[in-house]
Amino acid sequence: MRAGLTKRQLGLLLVAMGVGAAGLLLAVDLLGAGRSAGIGPAQRMALGGAALLVLVGLTLLPLGDRPA
Amino acid sequence: MTRVMAAEQETERAWALWLARLLVGLALLAFVGYFLVYTLYAVQLFRFPFDYDQGEGFELVDTILLSRGDWPYRDIESYPFYSSNYPPFYHLVVVPLVWLFGPHYWTGRLVTYLGTLVTAAAIGYAVYTPEGAGQGRPRKGRWWLAALAGLAFLASNYIYHVGPLFRQHLFMVMLETVAVVAMAKVMAREEASGRPQWAGLLLVMALLLAAGYTKQLAYATIAAVFIFLFLRRPVRAVVWAIGFLLVTALIFVGINVATDGHWLLNTVTANINEFIPGQAIGLFRQWFRLHTLFAVVAALFAAYQLYAERLSVYSIWFAVTLVNSVTAGKWGAGESYFATTIAASCVLTGLAFGRLLDRAEEAGRERNRLLPALTMGGVALLFLWQASLVFHMPTHTPLLRQIALALGQPAEVMLAPQTSCSAPRPAVPVPYVDSAGVGLLGRPPTSADTEAGQRIAALILEGESAAFSEEAGFNLYAGRDVVTNPTQLLNLYHNDAVDLTEMLAMLDAQAFDTVILRAQFYPLPVLDVIGQRYETAELIEMNGFVYCVMRSR
Repeated sequence: MRAGLTKRQLGLLLVAMGVGAAGLLLAVDLLGAGRSAGIGPAQRMALGGAALLVLVGLTLLPLGDRPA
Repeated sequence: MTRVMAAEQETERAWALWLARLLVGLALLAFVGYFLVYTLYAVQLFRFPFDYDQGEGFELVDTILLSRGDWPYRDIESYPFYSSNYPPFYHLVVVPLVWLFGPHYWTGRLVTYLGTLVTAAAIGYAVYTPEGAGQGRPRKGRWWLAALAGLAFLASNYIYHVGPLFRQHLFMVMLETVAVVAMAKVMAREEASGRPQWAGLLLVMALLLAAGYTKQLAYATIAAVFIFLFLRRPVRAVVWAIGFLLVTALIFVGINVATDGHWLLNTVTANINEFIPGQAIGLFRQWFRLHTLFAVVAALFAAYQLYAERLSVYSIWFAVTLVNSVTAGKWGAGESYFATTIAASCVLTGLAFGRLLDRAEEAGRERNRLLPALTMGGVALLFLWQASLVFHMPTHTPLLRQIALALGQPAEVMLAPQTSCSAPRPAVPVPYVDSAGVGLLGRPPTSADTEAGQRIAALILEGESAAFSEEAGFNLYAGRDVVTNPTQLLNLYHNDAVDLTEMLAMLDAQAFDTVILRAQFYPLPVLDVIGQRYETAELIEMNGFVYCVMRSR
């Protein structure tokens, strides 16, 4: 019996985290909580990181039930 | 195969093995050489009685306060305008040395230096005993590979620069590394035996807690360990994370109550600094240029584990701390923020090469008998290449100068002393070479630097009061109060969290006989009033920086 997460579950988790992080970053910008108007360089870097997280998560989905 | 052919192949194999061992010997020689240079620098620093890196003195002040049973989280708005922004664990470890030998810089420097040796040993141990490093168990540990991985950590320019300083950062890295290696072993033992290893897990949590209360930056390693635990034991990870948070919060609230809220203000509010993307990108590029072998091999091995086998705690640790290294772009942060990533990459590189050598030995038994020796030689050559990337060496003695020249390096570099409160000065030869670029850190302090510090302390003693000084060391040496912690004041000022009224009034009334500036890290209103009420009396160069000693106008 395996107790841990599978590659597919890890992939789904990464996709959810990436989407959530990107949504949060954009919401912060829309609500004007950032120091300057528009998407700044730090936010762009964070959005890039979130996109990478989604991408890595998607590539893990086909790996199925193998242990993560 | 005839007996003659077999004998010829055996001779070839023996020669290839001999050559591979020679290359391994050369790689070990290079990294042992770096270790000797590191120790030489450390010993020179142990003997230097002033701040070498701005901020060391304040860590000593924290230790002195704790040794007397006082908290270093204080009301910074009242004389002596001092408070600390760092958690206390590291300083508490140094306290017994201060009790025994007095408040000397060498106490904390020695503890940090020894901490880096423990980190290197933990890296070596992780490489030598690869249980818990993913699927499959390599057949044997290789002492030379473990030694190279551990020594390579100490050979990093970044570790060399700050390893023997009275700074808590690398002590945190030691606790993080030991915690992660322990986590790998605990999980490996649990999976092999089928029984939970509660005592081992408790030890890991204690080490992580200590790391977090050494420096806040340890949160990345704490996150990495809990992510790993979540992948292997999701329910237990959640339960233990709640327990860990509760204990952390309990200690946090306890210190905050004991310090009337100064703990929260000084360790949290004062650490919210401006993020400078250019600084982060520049440091990432430099880290990659200096540690290319470890960065590439660690990233490839982590990707291999992600897709082809189970993720080890080391891969998760590397990935999380690499992302967290972006915080090196915060104002006041710097190269040392990569130290944890360097430790993780050294472990992963050693493990990856161990795996490669195992495969080569398997293939060597079945097909190509030269393959093990060729792989071993290739690994040694890669370590030699990495050794050339991190080149750094003081050249203040004839022997070191000759070694640098023999290795095709310059014997010195031309560099102007750094100035902030005085006019620029012409470049002078500096007997130190560093592929990271020669800055203020890395060149051993000289007797001239000690005399310069003593001269500044003597100028303080000409007056009656403590000096309003940007560094703590001069007042400590003179036996006067340590007044102000400039970067802490600046951080609080930028966060609108400090009232400077009392300080400005004292400066306006010229209550301090001496003001000592270095990099002018004080908030602008403070610099303004200093400029109006004080004037430069003497310029003194120490450790490549020109200090302005000021007197009342």
